[in-house]
Order: sequence, then C-alpha cells, then structure tokens
Amino acid sequence: MKKKKVLTMLLAATMVFGLAACGGNKSNDAKKDGGDDAKKSDSYELALVTDIGSIDDKSFNQGAWEGVDQYATEKDIPHQYYKPVEQSDEAYKDAIALAVKGGAKTIVCPGYLFEVPVHEMQTQYPDVNFIIIDGAPHGAEDGAPIEIEKNTLSIFYAEQQAGYLAGYAAVKDGYKKLGFMGGIAVPAVKRYGYGFVQGAEDAAAELGLKDGEITLRYTYLNTFNATPEVNTLASSWYKDGTELIFAAAGGAGNSVMKAAETAGAKVVGVDVDQSAESDTVISSAMKNLKKSVYDAITSIYDGNFQGGESITLDASKEGVELPMDSSKWENFTKDDYTAVYEKLAAGSIEIPTDSTTEDASGLTTAKVALSVE
Amino acid sequence: MDVIYFIVQQTMFFAIPLLLVAIGGMYAERSGVINIALEGIMVMGAFTGVLFISEMGDSMSGQGLLILAILISGATGMVFSLLHAFASINMKADQTISGTALNLFAPAFVIFAARMINGVQQIPFIDSFRIDSVPVLGSIPVIGDMFFKNTYITTYIGLGLYVLAAFVIAKTSFGLRLRACGEHPGAADSVGVSVKKIRYAGVIISGFLGGVGGLVFVVPTSTNFNATVAGYGFLALAVMIFGQWRSGRILGAAFFFGVMKTMASAYTSVPVLKDLGLPNDVYKMIPYIATLIVLIFTSKSSQAPRAEGIPFDRTAR
Repeated sequence: MKKKKVLTMLLAATMVFGLAACGGNKSNDAKKDGGDDAKKSDSYELALVTDIGSIDDKSFNQGAWEGVDQYATEKDIPHQYYKPVEQSDEAYKDAIALAVKGGAKTIVCPGYLFEVPVHEMQTQYPDVNFIIIDGAPHGAEDGAPIEIEKNTLSIFYAEQQAGYLAGYAAVKDGYKKLGFMGGIAVPAVKRYGYGFVQGAEDAAAELGLKDGEITLRYTYLNTFNATPEVNTLASSWYKDGTELIFAAAGGAGNSVMKAAETAGAKVVGVDVDQSAESDTVISSAMKNLKKSVYDAITSIYDGNFQGGESITLDASKEGVELPMDSSKWENFTKDDYTAVYEKLAAGSIEIPTDSTTEDASGLTTAKVALSVE
Repeated sequence: MDVIYFIVQQTMFFAIPLLLVAIGGMYAERSGVINIALEGIMVMGAFTGVLFISEMGDSMSGQGLLILAILISGATGMVFSLLHAFASINMKADQTISGTALNLFAPAFVIFAARMINGVQQIPFIDSFRIDSVPVLGSIPVIGDMFFKNTYITTYIGLGLYVLAAFVIAKTSFGLRLRACGEHPGAADSVGVSVKKIRYAGVIISGFLGGVGGLVFVVPTSTNFNATVAGYGFLALAVMIFGQWRSGRILGAAFFFGVMKTMASAYTSVPVLKDLGLPNDVYKMIPYIATLIVLIFTSKSSQAPRAEGIPFDRTAR
C-alpha cells in the first residue's frame, strides 16, 4: 500500500510539473507573438502554416517564420504559426482553415506540399492572401495546370544558382574530388545538385583543367534524417578520396558533417548558413528565405502585392548566396565571388534545372567526371 | 585490408546500439513484459545524455564527460520505463498500448523540452570523444586496426554491459528467477518469488540499456540530436526476435544487421559489391532480404517467453 501511495504522489507530481510547464510555454509564446495585443484580441493577422518539420528546422519553415516574425514585430502585428496534425492535403487544409478562423489575413505556406491545399483554399477564402514558397498551386489530379488566383503569390528560388556558386567556389578553391548528397530527389534538391555540377564544370574550364580532372560523385540519400547509414556512406566516400561533399539533405547533413570530422574533410551546407553546426562546414549554399518572405509581406501591406504571379528569386534579386563572411575558402576570394555573382545576376550563365533535365545522369559535362550512384 | 578495417569500424556504430537495446528488450520480455517502448526510451535517453554533453561542454570534455552522460541516459531510461512498468504490472494494462503511448510521448516531450531550454529542437554537441587510436592496443597489427582505431569508448562500454547482462541472466539466481517469471510466473510465485518485483527489475534494466543505447546511437553518427533515433528502437526489437530472446544469438543478430547495413551503405568502397553494378536501392534492401531468408529457416522454432505480455494474476494461478 505504501508503495502505491508513493507512486500516486509521483504521478501527481509529474502532472503538476507538466501543467506548470504548459503554463510557462503559453506565456512565452504570447510574448514571442507580439505581446499583450495578441492575447487580448485573440486574432492573428499574419499566419504561417508549417510543412513537415517545425519552425526551427533550420530550413524552409524557420527561414519563412523569421521573415514573418521580423515584419510582424516591427509593425506590431499579431502573428501565429499553425502546425498541421499530419502530412496530408486534408490536414494542411484544416490548418489553413484554422488560421483563417484565427483571424489571418495573410498566410505563408512554405513548401511544395502546399500546392494542392493552397489551390483549393485560395478560391475558398478570396479575401485572404497566400504566399506559397517553393511551389505553385495546382489541382490534385496528375498534370493539373497551375492556377494562381489574385490573392496568391508563388515564390520559387533558383537553387541551381546557389548550388552553382558552391560548385564553382569549391573548384576555384582547389578541390578536385567532390561529392553531392541530396536528401530526396525533390525538385529543389535536384536543382541544387545540377547547379553544383555545372558550377564545378565552369570553374574547371576557367582554370584550364584537363577533361575529367575533377571527379564528382552524385547520389540521393532518400532521407532527411541523421542516421548511421548516411554517416557510413559519407565516411566511405571520404575514405575513397572525396575531399568535399555538398550535403543538400537537411538533418542528414549532420551525419555527413560527422563523417567529415572523422575524416578531416569538408562539407558545404544548405539552405541556411550552417557554419555554426560543425567546423567542417566550409560554406553554405543559401537561399534567402527570410528576406523574401519579409519582402512579400511588406508588398501586401504597402498595397503592391504581386498576387496571381509566380516569381523566381535568383541572383538578380539576391534570392541566393554564399555567406562569404563565415566561409572558410582559402583561395576563393570575395572578389571572385562578386565577379561570378554578377555574371549570375546578369543571367549570362546557363544552368540545367529539373524542368530541362529529368535525371542527374542526363547532365553533360567534360571537365567533370560525373558518377551518379 | 583497408576496406575490411573500415567495414569493421563502421559496423560498430550500427551494432553496438542495436545490441544494447535488444538485450534491454530481452530483459523485459524474459521477465514477461513486452516492451515496445524501446524506441521512446532511446529517444529519452539520447535527449538527456546529449543535453548534458551540450550544457557541460564548456567546462568538461573527453571520456569523463561521455561516461557521465551515459549514466544520465541510463538513469533517464530507467525512470521513463517505470511508467511502462507501472501501467503493465500494477495496472495490468495492455502492454502494447502502454509501449506505443510512450513511443508517441517521447519525441513530442523531447521537442517540447528542448524548445523550452534551448529555443530550438536540435541540441548540438561538440564531439571530444572520438578515439583516433587506443594507446598500445591500437598498434597491434590487424586487430588494432579493426577494433582499436577510429572508435568510441561507448563501443567497449557497450560490449562490457553486454557481457555483464548475458552473464547475469544465465548464471545468477536473479537471472533464473527472471526467466521463470517470463515462462511460468505461477510456478515462480509458488516458491516465493515476487513476480511483481522481478518484472519491475526486468523493465527497469531494459530502460537503462535502452537509454544508454540511445546516446550510443547518436554520439558517433551526428553532430546534433534532433528528437529521433530513426527507428532503431524498433530495429532492435527485430534483432531481439531474430536472436530468439537468447543473449548469444542476439549478439550474432546485432552484428549480422550491423555488417549488412554497413555493406549496404558503403558498397561503393567494397570492390566485390561495386562490381555487381546494381542500383543503390537494391543494396539498401539487402539487410532486409537477408533477414527474411534467415527468418524463414528459423522462425519455426520460435522461443518467445511463454508468459510474455500476460499480466500476472495471482488468483488465477
């Protein structure tokens, strides 16, 4: 009996602690979300619905949320994010509906998985503005045409240009044995990879290297998680001589970094500046999510919203970049970077994308000996 | 030879966590409690261990820090597994459901707690634990290259814990009582063994080993902990069943999986495998196909503890 009592007390203590923790969270959130106004009005004008992952995924969701947060904090607008209960069109629609009920006038939807849900919701809620990132709304059936209503803006990034910068810098810096590991072969990841190959190719040509002097191994991991499998694969590449791997693979990139730490080799990060994650991160192929979301929201409030359009943010709009301040290149200088960036911005560099090339084995290279695995 | 050294070194990163967690599962099940909460226990153990490393990283480093973290992970696993023990032993709840509940709870709690503490769900840590070459032992030809280079102290601790666990269950009176409670709790009870206490012990031991397994899984393979152990808790359950609830066979099964998974990931470094020229998806299937084949031949003689999953009811004896 005595034991039972102790257990009961333990259980009770756990519950009290749990409740207290919940309480603490609420007040924190309220603070984060713009203070007392938000609490009183209970209506959040700016909303973000998260994709798979969370608002601190160091990628899409986080970058987009930072943009929302920055604008809302500056202008003192109540804002909130919503997390769908699962990854399905229905759950995403429910989350959007919940956001609208919560008073949202503008909803940011990061990720191509929102294409179908937003397609439906943009007509259902014509008074709400939608910003969809990395996707364009279309119907659920195969091959459905893209339809963007006046209240929706679709934003794409030229990931191939970010990848291009990384590949170009790596070869210019003196690396000859490169690797590319994409998470899953989705359009954005493919574009990163194609750009990386093309950048290496162009840099090799500029340096006057022989055909095949640069080797590049190319694969998709089929996961975005850190696992021993990814670690082992990356370790085996490093062991076989690969000097630098561009890991466009979310959390799986951390396993690549671990392998690089063991092997004393290098990694190029992705999406955001990952230099803080490991000393092996020599640079990162970034897209400027925060700025673009911020700009899009600003345009809505300033009344010059480009609704009904799909825009691609590339170098000419500063949509992509390498963070040169935190990069650890030895021979690739800021001047080199500025020079190649200007060329990209001017549009004088052709890079294959997922719409021109179905599969990485379809890329044509001369200087780079490409092996797709 | 380099290739073989590499394969052996990498195999440890797969096999040791699987081994520890599977042995933990064995302790719970041989005492009569199904423990599918291993995945959740791993997540909790990895969480507190990595959090400790991350918080203390400024003032401490090296093996001492890692050993302390292992103890913390183990303790967390024990406390967490108490919930399962309470539900399935005292409350006589359905053990599968209780385990599932813990599996669902753990990642959610870990994300929540990490956010409260750090603001983000990933917990980064600095790895000051890798051992390039163990002094003296590392310079032994062949064996040194295989087992004492590019390694972590967790490998040896894991093997040590395994030997201890295997000894205790087979050779001590406690081990005998534990096994009896899993086979025929009524008989054990009739000779004065407290089934309840023994089952609690079994579950708590599985919690300890599961928690340690979680940390051992994360440290060598990532630079942060992101609230997941990628299904390795469930894989450990498979290893346990594959190993027929016997410690010797579990050792074999864990290393079988470890080697297969290493080969499947690093096949490009292995000349024989690379020359086959198969698509990489096929290589990734190899561990599972091999498992299916082995199971076809062995599953007939399944030796699951007879009383596992059945709450002990003294009055029904």
